[in-house]
Amino acid sequence: MYFLIALGLAILAAVLWFFFRDRKALHLDILAIIFGAAALMWFGDCIMSAAGGEPFISFDEVREFDGWISLWTFGGGIFLWVVLSFILNNRQKAKEVK
Amino acid sequence: MACFLVSAAAGVGVAAAKYIVKHHEKKNSLKVSEEPKEYKFGSEVKWSKKLAYLELVLFTGSFILAGEHMIHGEVVPFPPFLTAMSSPADATEMLHEMGTTGVLMLGLLVAAWAVGVLLVDFIKYRKHKKVEAKKLEEAK
Repeated sequence: MYFLIALGLAILAAVLWFFFRDRKALHLDILAIIFGAAALMWFGDCIMSAAGGEPFISFDEVREFDGWISLWTFGGGIFLWVVLSFILNNRQKAKEVK
Repeated sequence: MACFLVSAAAGVGVAAAKYIVKHHEKKNSLKVSEEPKEYKFGSEVKWSKKLAYLELVLFTGSFILAGEHMIHGEVVPFPPFLTAMSSPADATEMLHEMGTTGVLMLGLLVAAWAVGVLLVDFIKYRKHKKVEAKKLEEAK
């Protein structure tokens, strides 16, 4: 479930990155990398689940924390993106001043 | 249980490697050579930048997964921080998960990064070859 959400967000961020590729200050590449990395890690989890006999992805039961984790994936990714963009843009400004 | 720790630990190693590589690159850039530098495959993007992307992938992925583990109650903000550490049986299971799922996650992230780096290097190399061919044609 989280894998699909992270994958969807990664695809969305990659599409946005493609359309706004000239606006480097947005750092949409970082957003795509954040969600892509999370999706890949959960993909590894899904593989291990499938190897253990469990279904790769199951829609039969929505578990207790699914909503919170989905919200965290989105919010945590956006938070990281904002913080990293702020740091990188400030570093760029400092370089220009020098 | 704590599979994200493998990638986070690898991220620390990559960060250290990045700083060493950056230091060497700075040192080499200060050397003055009279001969023009020969173009090599993959030389256009510095290794410190490539490692910075790997660091980003490892740390951000671990951060998101750490949040997931916190919501599940597997990571707590007080010692021993990992609930699996409270009993030896759980700790063994946790270490097994780190050795299987954690290593698989790390492998997937590194493989994705390697493919990305190769792709970028290949695109830059092809661009360089095209420019060179154009220059040769103009010289003729």
